[in-house]
Amino acid sequence: MNSYEWIMYAGIAVWAGLGLYIFTLARRQSALSRRIAQMTRLADEEAAER
Amino acid sequence: MRNFLEKAPCAAPWLALAGGLALAACQWLIFVYAPVESTMGPPQKIFYLHLPLAWWGLISFFVVFLSGIAYIYSRKPVWDALSGAAAEVGLVLAVLAVLTGSIWARHSWGLWWTWDARLTTALVMCFVYAGYLIVRGLDMQPGRKALVCAVVGIVAFLDVPLVFLSARLWSYIHPPSISLEPEMKLTVAACTGAFALLWAGLTLFRFKLALDAQRLDQSAMERLMRRG
Repeated sequence: MNSYEWIMYAGIAVWAGLGLYIFTLARRQSALSRRIAQMTRLADEEAAER
Repeated sequence: MRNFLEKAPCAAPWLALAGGLALAACQWLIFVYAPVESTMGPPQKIFYLHLPLAWWGLISFFVVFLSGIAYIYSRKPVWDALSGAAAEVGLVLAVLAVLTGSIWARHSWGLWWTWDARLTTALVMCFVYAGYLIVRGLDMQPGRKALVCAVVGIVAFLDVPLVFLSARLWSYIHPPSISLEPEMKLTVAACTGAFALLWAGLTLFRFKLALDAQRLDQSAMERLMRRG
């Protein structure tokens, strides 16, 4: 194997790992935003009922 | 301090973006500016990723340790949120440090893994903090869980000095340090700085998610109490 290929594999591992982690953070952020929107809608409905 | 902690996450996207750009710029330093090491050849350049990943992983775990103490002392949920965020980011960085080390080892030592003291203590550290994150995911009363996590985070930190010292005290294959030319020192400093920005951005972003989740849980609980 070409010796530069080892650096490439290490670089791929780092960027793929960080990318995957950022992707999971984005998924969790959007799930949380949905929960916040749901909670706000419920609060608005309660206020309208009163 | 609490106000600062609650406002700091606003900077997270900018820090992460700056870190990503700085890391991209560091590729030039790694591949063009830094000279090729005479014994190991080009694969030695993995060092410029491996070292900052390992350092920022260890620093993350130090943050877990400090925020665990702060939580026990103050019982403020903000410290628990910071502790969880730092543990998660630290584990990602530590696992990537082990992975890059393994790739480098395959070229330099001819094996992917060996039970050397540095490698073993680093692997144990990864398992310990993975266990810590599992504890954080357990279904427990929030205040009790935060306290248990703070204690586990403090105890888990016992392995971190061992990881740091293992290469000097017991290691038979992992070098405690390597001699660097000035260009190499500059490159590793720049990469460490770039990873610092990325680390701060990721930790603050994860911290913001944890704070938002805490607030949401609290307001859901208050609604339930109101409804009786």
